[in-house]
Amino acid sequence: MNFLKNSAVNPLFLLLNIGLSVAYFIFICFLFPIGNPVLFSFLILGEVFHLWQVFGYIHSVWPRKRVSEFDQNFTDAVAVYITVTGEPADIVEETVKAATEMDYPNFNVYILNDGFVANRDNWREAEEVADKYGITCLTRQTPGGAKAGNINHAMTKTKEPFIVVFDADHVPVKEFLKKMMGYFVDEKVAFVQSPQYYKNFEENLVTGGAWEQQELFFGAISKGKNTTNSAFMCGTNMAIRRIALDEVGGMSEFSIAEDFLTSLLIHEKKWKSVYVGEVLASGLSPEDFLSYYKQQFRWARGSLEVVFRYNPLFRRGLTFSQKVQYLSSASFYVSGVIVFINAVLPLLYFYAGIEPLAIGTMTLALVFIPYILVVLYTIQLTSNFSYTFRALSFSLSSFPIHMKAIWQIIIGKKSGFVVTSKKAVSGNHGYLVTPHLVYIGLVVFGVLVAYLREGFTPSVLSNVAWALLYVAVFIPFIMAAFQKVGADETVPLETLKKESV
Amino acid sequence: MKRFFKNLWPNTEKGQAVLVLAVLMAFATALSIFVFSKTSLRLDEAQSLFQVSRDVGGTLYAVAQDVHVPGYHLLLQAWTFVFGNDIVPARFLSLGFFLAIIPMVYILGKLVFNHKVGLYAALLVTVSPFMQWYGSEARMYSMLAFMTVLHYYFFIKVYEEGRTRQWIGYILVAILGLYTHYFFGFVLLTEALFYLLYRRSFPKGSLKKFIVSAVVALGAFAPWLLYVRSLGTASNTQPSLTSPSSGDVFNTYTQFLFGFQVDAMNTVIVSLWPVVVLLAFFALQKNHKITQQAVFFVLAAVIPVIAAFVISVTIRPFYLSRYLIVSLPPLVILLAWIFSTYPLKVRRILQTALVAITLGLLAIQVLNPQTPVKEDYSVAVGYLNQQVTAQDVVVVAAPFTIYPTEYYYTGAAKLTTQPIWNRFESGAVPAYNQNTVKAETDKNVLPYQYAYLMLSYDQGYNEKLKTYYSSRFELVSTKDFSDGLTIYRYKIRYDPPITVSQ
Repeated sequence: MNFLKNSAVNPLFLLLNIGLSVAYFIFICFLFPIGNPVLFSFLILGEVFHLWQVFGYIHSVWPRKRVSEFDQNFTDAVAVYITVTGEPADIVEETVKAATEMDYPNFNVYILNDGFVANRDNWREAEEVADKYGITCLTRQTPGGAKAGNINHAMTKTKEPFIVVFDADHVPVKEFLKKMMGYFVDEKVAFVQSPQYYKNFEENLVTGGAWEQQELFFGAISKGKNTTNSAFMCGTNMAIRRIALDEVGGMSEFSIAEDFLTSLLIHEKKWKSVYVGEVLASGLSPEDFLSYYKQQFRWARGSLEVVFRYNPLFRRGLTFSQKVQYLSSASFYVSGVIVFINAVLPLLYFYAGIEPLAIGTMTLALVFIPYILVVLYTIQLTSNFSYTFRALSFSLSSFPIHMKAIWQIIIGKKSGFVVTSKKAVSGNHGYLVTPHLVYIGLVVFGVLVAYLREGFTPSVLSNVAWALLYVAVFIPFIMAAFQKVGADETVPLETLKKESV
Repeated sequence: MKRFFKNLWPNTEKGQAVLVLAVLMAFATALSIFVFSKTSLRLDEAQSLFQVSRDVGGTLYAVAQDVHVPGYHLLLQAWTFVFGNDIVPARFLSLGFFLAIIPMVYILGKLVFNHKVGLYAALLVTVSPFMQWYGSEARMYSMLAFMTVLHYYFFIKVYEEGRTRQWIGYILVAILGLYTHYFFGFVLLTEALFYLLYRRSFPKGSLKKFIVSAVVALGAFAPWLLYVRSLGTASNTQPSLTSPSSGDVFNTYTQFLFGFQVDAMNTVIVSLWPVVVLLAFFALQKNHKITQQAVFFVLAAVIPVIAAFVISVTIRPFYLSRYLIVSLPPLVILLAWIFSTYPLKVRRILQTALVAITLGLLAIQVLNPQTPVKEDYSVAVGYLNQQVTAQDVVVVAAPFTIYPTEYYYTGAAKLTTQPIWNRFESGAVPAYNQNTVKAETDKNVLPYQYAYLMLSYDQGYNEKLKTYYSSRFELVSTKDFSDGLTIYRYKIRYDPPITVSQ
């Protein structure tokens, strides 16, 4: 697991990164003559956001040490919750089997079955699995609160002082509890989180892209957050102290990113969190593009809700570092707007001949190239060279998803919690990359328009190169959308569309 | 056919290297013999030949007054002693260094990365139009590039192993490099910077050995510095340089890869710079670590250019892309390594595309008469040889262009410069002076029937000189040769020439 290895990054290099980012920002904002004022405003908006992202990332990965207390003889009782919402029985069974075989003296396994309230035809299968392994199945009869509601419901039916949560497909290793529970010897630790590892990452383009995106977060970023007591819950592979959860009223049911918001509320109450940089459970990545799309949308929507409704900057009780970390993670999904703006700039030049800056393209290159190369190198250094072009492609190409999430928040549209499908949803998902295909079409036609207007001038050529850059970035994403995935054992699309709980 | 080539391809790395390097060296040799050796003598080459045409003391004196160091000139002097003081054999000396660079680049690329990186880097350096140009020019640049590659080889060796013989090689090549060109100092600067960054990765005791190396190398170079100092600061033939712009930095790298192209082509190449960002994106590959050695090649490709740029902007302009040839070999090795990290399909496409584009642009550089660095003194002076009579005068400006002119000149007319310059006297080339232009023009041309004003290497006054001549004399004809090289023919006197019978 290369992404979890410690990387020794020289702080001077990180300072150089900040220095170059600030220098680039100053050049763009103050030293270059302005072209079109409206475009310039948008450009500055994007640059402010990029600067914030760089600061946030450097703050995350800045080399600090935090030693968390650990007692390997810790044996307090644990309730292991396996949340199920109609996942296939074989998947649930594998998780249940592994959970019951965990090496720990004092724990009970529960299946939290939401299949019934989610109108799943196979909801009884979870109960059958529970019977087979002699564990309790808590099947909700009254819907509400989605996954958070499911967990809160289970909390009323169980008594153990500690809770561990696994999604139905996340199979724990035998040592999971041994390696997680010892941190609760520190009575201020509210929750312990371990990585969300996708064991099927080599299966196809979607699983590969989704996993490579995860690596950066569960590697460099989460390890960094741990050093500032800012690690947050990620919905699965986590252990929680019941009284901490009780103190904030249980898992938050007001957000579809319930884990993220609940973590914030717990940190506000001065509790601590721990991130364990070791893979202790392995799950399944979305196998088809539609499932990936929905998962990303849910994360984007939930995180952005935190920015708009629970902005960490204005929450009392959080430390400065926690505010930075929460805002940095939540605001990541704003990047979709910035990617869109930057991608559209070449088109505006092709069709209207307008540019945000009135400078020679070489001058921009002189400040931009060192800046971007050092930023990329920093990401690679801090992530132990686990970040990939495909991960970058998936992140940048998700801009329509992020923009859709922002738009729905602005218009106040309600959104339900949709469980990520654990089996591939067959069908052609190419329609999900329509914006990218339209973009490519506009680039091709736009180059022609610009050429007829002014020939291949330096500005036209430079904008062609920028547009090609975006097209190249979109290609792995487009290929993933058009990739055919296994048609057997799929969840019907109609079922998925009814999934809102 | 495919099978035939497959059988031809050796199984061992050594066999492959020998075959590929032999082909590349044959290609470079053929191009040099059949194309570049036939081009006109250039100003700088004429200076080289002029400087080595004296005895050793005279050569040292001439070089010391110039902006260079004497290593190459002394070697060229010995070379011309054996092969004759003609431009073609003089160019072959540079070709020798160029040919030596090709296997050295392979060896260095293989040492630091792997066999394939070494081979591709050797291919890139061979087809580089910039390297081809200076690999066939009677100047020190291919020698400087060779010394650079050799020194980096020893530097990597002392970094990885630190054996005594490697240190000896390191010091010896440092001395030779310093005596090849002042810009070799940037090679040492790059190495020093790398040492500062990664000193803990060097073998124990390296700091002490680096200090000893520096003392020995500087001690060996000190006599030359003292000699130059004893002669004063006069710069005899140094052309005036302007402060570089950000565009010049990018032009340097595009010239390294794609050679000297006309403005329109240069604009196309340089404007596509965002492609660099895309290539950097492609380099984001899992577990392809950027080793310390890779960082070294980044520094080696960047530091000399940036340092020269900064010094030229802040202290004194001396930014010329050919001086920065020290960054070319590390650049191609770096590119070869970056490509090697890409997925196979992307790698093959990019590798093929880069070589195809470079070869195409090499062809354009060779065939296009408008290529900016071409100096067609051969044809221009040939024109003069046919036109001038003993009653005419040829005036060249800038004054130091007298060197290539003289090389080809066989005409009957007097040859002079304006501003008037006696290059056999110590001191700088005289500057243009508006107050003396009349007197100098009178002295140069008044006794003659026609004046041929040959303008090239504009030092900021060619247009003024032409305007002055045109205001006083009748411009009879104008003839353009290569970029910036023009001959103007003026009618000076209207009385008929005096004949013996009169």
